[in-house]
Amino acid sequence: MTNSSTNNSEITTALSNEGLKDQPWWVEQWMELINSYRFKKRLERAWTYAREGNVTSIRFEGRRVHARVQGTGEDPYKVKLWLDVLNDEDWRYVLEALTQKARWSAQLLAGIMPADIERAFAASGRRLFPFKLQEVRSECNCPDKANPCKHISAIYFLMGDRFSEDPFVLFQLRGRSRSKLLEDLAEQRREALAAMAKAAESKSDSAKNSNINQVSPAQPHPAVIEPSLWWKYEGNLNADLVVITPAMEGDSGLDSAGDLPLAEEPKFPEARQIFLNHLHEQRINLAQQAMLQAMAAGE
Amino acid sequence: MVDAADQQRTPTSRDPSHDFCVAAMSLLHATWLPAIRTPTSSGRPALLVWADTWRVATPAGPGATPALHPFTLEPEDLRVWLHEKDLLPDGIIDATACLTLPSRALKAKTKGKPSQNESTTEEIIESNWTGLPLQAGEPIPKKCEWWPWQVQGLAVEPAAATTWLSKLPLSGHNSDLGEELRWWSHLQRWALSVIARGRWLPQVELSKGEGYPHRARWVPLLNREDDRRRLEELAARLPLVATCALPWREPTGKRSNRITRLRPEAMRAANPVASCRPRSGRLRVATLLEELVDAQLRQGFESNVEDLDPLLASWQKALGSESGVITLPNEEVERLATASSHWREGVAGTVAPARACLELFTPTEGEDLWELRFALQAEADPTLKVPAATAWAAGSQIMQLGEIRVEHPGEVLLEGLGRALTVFEPIERGLDNATPNSMRLTPAEAFVLVRTASSQLRDVGVGVELPPTLSGGLASRLGLAIKAELSEASRGFTLGESLNWSWELMIGGVTLTLKELERLAGKRSPLVLHKGAWIELRPNDLKNAERFCTNNPEISLDDALRLTATEGDTVMKLPVHSFEAGPRLQGVLEQYHQQKAPDPLPAPEGFTGQLRPYQERGLGWLAFLHRFDQGACLADDMGLGKTIQLLAFLQHLKTEKELKRPVLLIAPTSVLTNWKREALAFTPELKVCEHYGPRRPSTTSELKQSLKNVDLILTSYGLMQRDSELLETIDWQGVVIDEAQAIKNPNAKQSQATRDISRPGKSNRFRIALTGTPVENRVSELWALMDFLNPRVLGKEDFFHQRYRLPIERYGDISSLKDLKSRVSPFLLRRLKTDKAIITDLPEKVELSEWVGLSKEQQSIYRKTVEDTLDAIARAPRGQRHGKVLGLLTRLKQICNHPALALKEETVQEGFMARSAKLQRLEEILEEVIDAGDRALLFTQFAEWGHLLQAYLQQRWRFEVPFLHGSTTKAERQAMVDRFQEDPRGPQIFLLSLKAGGIGLNLTRASHVFHIDRWWNPAVENQATDRAYRIGQENRVMVHKFITSGSVEEKIDQMIREKSRLAEDIIGSGEDWLGSLGVSELRELVALQDN
Repeated sequence: MTNSSTNNSEITTALSNEGLKDQPWWVEQWMELINSYRFKKRLERAWTYAREGNVTSIRFEGRRVHARVQGTGEDPYKVKLWLDVLNDEDWRYVLEALTQKARWSAQLLAGIMPADIERAFAASGRRLFPFKLQEVRSECNCPDKANPCKHISAIYFLMGDRFSEDPFVLFQLRGRSRSKLLEDLAEQRREALAAMAKAAESKSDSAKNSNINQVSPAQPHPAVIEPSLWWKYEGNLNADLVVITPAMEGDSGLDSAGDLPLAEEPKFPEARQIFLNHLHEQRINLAQQAMLQAMAAGE
Repeated sequence: MVDAADQQRTPTSRDPSHDFCVAAMSLLHATWLPAIRTPTSSGRPALLVWADTWRVATPAGPGATPALHPFTLEPEDLRVWLHEKDLLPDGIIDATACLTLPSRALKAKTKGKPSQNESTTEEIIESNWTGLPLQAGEPIPKKCEWWPWQVQGLAVEPAAATTWLSKLPLSGHNSDLGEELRWWSHLQRWALSVIARGRWLPQVELSKGEGYPHRARWVPLLNREDDRRRLEELAARLPLVATCALPWREPTGKRSNRITRLRPEAMRAANPVASCRPRSGRLRVATLLEELVDAQLRQGFESNVEDLDPLLASWQKALGSESGVITLPNEEVERLATASSHWREGVAGTVAPARACLELFTPTEGEDLWELRFALQAEADPTLKVPAATAWAAGSQIMQLGEIRVEHPGEVLLEGLGRALTVFEPIERGLDNATPNSMRLTPAEAFVLVRTASSQLRDVGVGVELPPTLSGGLASRLGLAIKAELSEASRGFTLGESLNWSWELMIGGVTLTLKELERLAGKRSPLVLHKGAWIELRPNDLKNAERFCTNNPEISLDDALRLTATEGDTVMKLPVHSFEAGPRLQGVLEQYHQQKAPDPLPAPEGFTGQLRPYQERGLGWLAFLHRFDQGACLADDMGLGKTIQLLAFLQHLKTEKELKRPVLLIAPTSVLTNWKREALAFTPELKVCEHYGPRRPSTTSELKQSLKNVDLILTSYGLMQRDSELLETIDWQGVVIDEAQAIKNPNAKQSQATRDISRPGKSNRFRIALTGTPVENRVSELWALMDFLNPRVLGKEDFFHQRYRLPIERYGDISSLKDLKSRVSPFLLRRLKTDKAIITDLPEKVELSEWVGLSKEQQSIYRKTVEDTLDAIARAPRGQRHGKVLGLLTRLKQICNHPALALKEETVQEGFMARSAKLQRLEEILEEVIDAGDRALLFTQFAEWGHLLQAYLQQRWRFEVPFLHGSTTKAERQAMVDRFQEDPRGPQIFLLSLKAGGIGLNLTRASHVFHIDRWWNPAVENQATDRAYRIGQENRVMVHKFITSGSVEEKIDQMIREKSRLAEDIIGSGEDWLGSLGVSELRELVALQDN
């Protein structure tokens, strides 16, 4: 472990060797939230606690975060964290706002958390992200009366990274899973469209596109009509597959995918990088084997 | 049940000596077995390798379990066969799987023999359907149903399967391998490419349910445009047998008598309506690719868990383990699964039938801004598009894109736009409302889209359609538009001659002058409007155009031929976008590129025969290339009359007074007789002589002497090589090679000598090659042929090997093959007897006389027999003469077939073929028949000869040759006939005795009939011929009649032809006349004549 807990003037740097700039915005925002907390000393102790690997598990279960932290006792303490859930009314406003911009749905569908998502939540007067640390409700079964206790605070530090594994877990904490949200969004969009169509219809009834949605019954597979297709293959090898070439520098799938969004295990701060480096090394070996095999084809 | 099935599978009785044939007629298949959990396995997938073969089988139906596929090769036989072909995979176990196969409904034969089928009756009654599975290549019955069959084979574990698939040929047809194996080999090659390019990510796959473990998986990333295209290609062509396994599997390991019931839902799934929906192809292929990629990466990956936390350590360990099972608490695995899936999501989405598409439109006049419209586009066919509005309007309904069904079209479109945002930021502006349809781009943004973003967008799986003038590729680059015509004085006969030509610069389909280009380049904007079209200027365009203009080169007829042959050819490095030929030049080009049938040339004066219309075209073509001094290869199908066309061509030269020096014709010894005969019959004006035999000229002067006034001299390949020094001293006017495949091996001495002699001597030398083989498909053989005909076309052998042979033969590189074909096609003319245009020109039965000589051994036995027997006959009492004469004729005919027959030998000894000239020729022709995939009937009147021939042919080709003769039982006959007619990979050669097989059989699958020896009565021969031929039949039947020249066979032929009194006597009143022949008449009939 290279980083030490004495480096506490800027706690956040300890979370990543790269510093905050390369962090996704939600990690950044989460850390700001923690940094805005007044009782710095308590946080420092919790930080050490987290770094030493005392947090044994963090689970997102529905709207709650369940965690276990190994304290001084024999059994780990059970910690629960949760946010205030948005009610259906609030969600309706959020959905309506989200539907206004196709980009939001587009990004969510493509697995991207829109950086300006809070603007959609502002419509309901609520937030996706907690504004203050106090909004993060918590419970710990340790004897310490203070909240947050050091066990809860330790979880705080690890949460940001955990959001990266699946940023949509934030929606879940606010009461809607990603899939439910997307479903609702689609529904909302349909309603909006229907309303628009109705409005257009009342203006002029010429704009009718009735036959667009006519769906013909599923065609049987061609082989059902032509059974010899069961065996037939007349294709030629695609010209690009004649010579098998390696990836250009920086063009492999690993390169495109970038950092593995897996929260760091505090006791193994280098593990993720070692894992990726090893994959890269192996990728080159495996590519060479594949090319040798391809070259030997047809001999 | 198992017992009953075993009974069904009992093959027909077969001669044990034919054991090698059992598997030789089988066809190998491969079907993927998805992971199925059984008590003994955690559900590993496997590749089932199996083979079908021909047998007589009882129709069966599914009972408690699917019926056993009656035509599969037993695992033990399969192993032996695969081992023999060096195709035995590693890591195999015997396995039985349940496959859905197209089947033919057939009533079970239960009524006839109830006692025998007692054990199966119950089963048959239980199901209301009985039938047999169809085999690949079998004619498809009108009513075809899909039923599950238990198929026995070898299950290959995935990693071993990938190694095995890599070894399969990537191209060409192989008679032992099902076509779908080529599909598999292409899929595997794609998997190798995915691995080589590192287009994969490790993932975690959560358990599919109780009993299934969580697993670490390697998944391919299919976001790139080229990979998506490939997926569509392979999915569209997926041979369903590759994925037709149903969820049923007998317990692995040793076969047991356990009965596993097919689950009712799986049984229903065997019904085609439920089992094969079009949508599934893409997903199935993506899954198979994933299996292959996973297996290979898993095998090659070396895990190293040092310094890893427990989570990553178990993942990595599982990635390198054979089973991939991850052992971690559920919550931890779920975390890994979520994180890894989110990781992958950043690169590649899911496989869907449609994708988002951005269409760029040029600004309307006076406008600055470009329009970008959003649309939804079918993956399978990019031309199928609907505007975004339609997708929005579809709502939750399924949308129809042509025949393709898209579920949730709005979501598909949005997801694509979300991905588009990651590589082309400007579209963020366009997504500001709820259902965006289009947006505007600034010129700078449009340029970014055209130049760089379009390919990046395609790589994240978003379609991009650019205006046609900018749509990339060669056409939107600077190039030339050429107009050319022959000069007025020219007849277009010499390749080097200069053409009258003019050119313009062209970009994106619009022409422009150098001045205009300068002006446009001055605007310093990469996208410019010219003549109403937007075109893209590249930095070096002006410089290249200026360089071309200062040079102002000439182009020749040769250049014109080259530029019109292949697309994208260049003049001084500028691509030629359009080439407009004047009418006269166009005529020459079309003829040269064979875009139209060659102009016919009627038979020349002095040609004493009739040319069919296609033969006149062939003659015209030979004359056309001769004018250009280009070598020509006439590769017409056997029986279309190449000999006649060549003779007509020589006669044409002679009539035109262009034949001034002798022409050398080289042919296999076995056809020299035929050439002599045909020349005599069709071109009696040509003076033909032979350079053959021990008395042939051995010095230049002798040779020159013998060539006086000679037009055509015939020699064999062997003698040409032996006497090459002598033959090279003659200034030949032309060299013709017959059966040109004889020079296919470039390094053989014979081939080298032939090519040497084709080079110009003192004056030009025309080169013509004749062959009946599909030369254009035999890449390895093309070089030597072209080196003989036109050495410049394919260059040196090393170059040819690297540029064409290797990519085409090893990898089936279709673009190299196309290029090669376009280079050689002007010099090849091949018509098939099945071509529509040819069929109409051909009679339904084409009779071909195959003239052959006698080997030395045959000659001496023949002569001795004649002498001895004539003496004996002369001395014999009158009563015995008749029998003796008949005996003599029979014996002579036998000698003409083969000395072994006359000497009553019973086995085939070494050197068997060389002893009979007729057998040599027969083998040559059969080789072509077999190569072409045709089938032939061989008739002989001698059963002993049939047996010898059967043994010889089976040895020669290593496949079964059935022989139907007088002592064949009725049941055996029927089996032979059925098999010949119906087995998709049945025997190609069927031997029959003229008497036993001449009547009553229906053998219409044959397109060649051979009469190996002649019979007095043409009616008997015709009856036999009609086994293969039926009135109204589409196929033409080639009837080959062998005639040994100078022998009694020729006399018989002559008599039949001339319908002489003698023949009538023979046919009409039996053979009494024979006895009354005087000895001198008899001698006349049988004596061997030199000719």
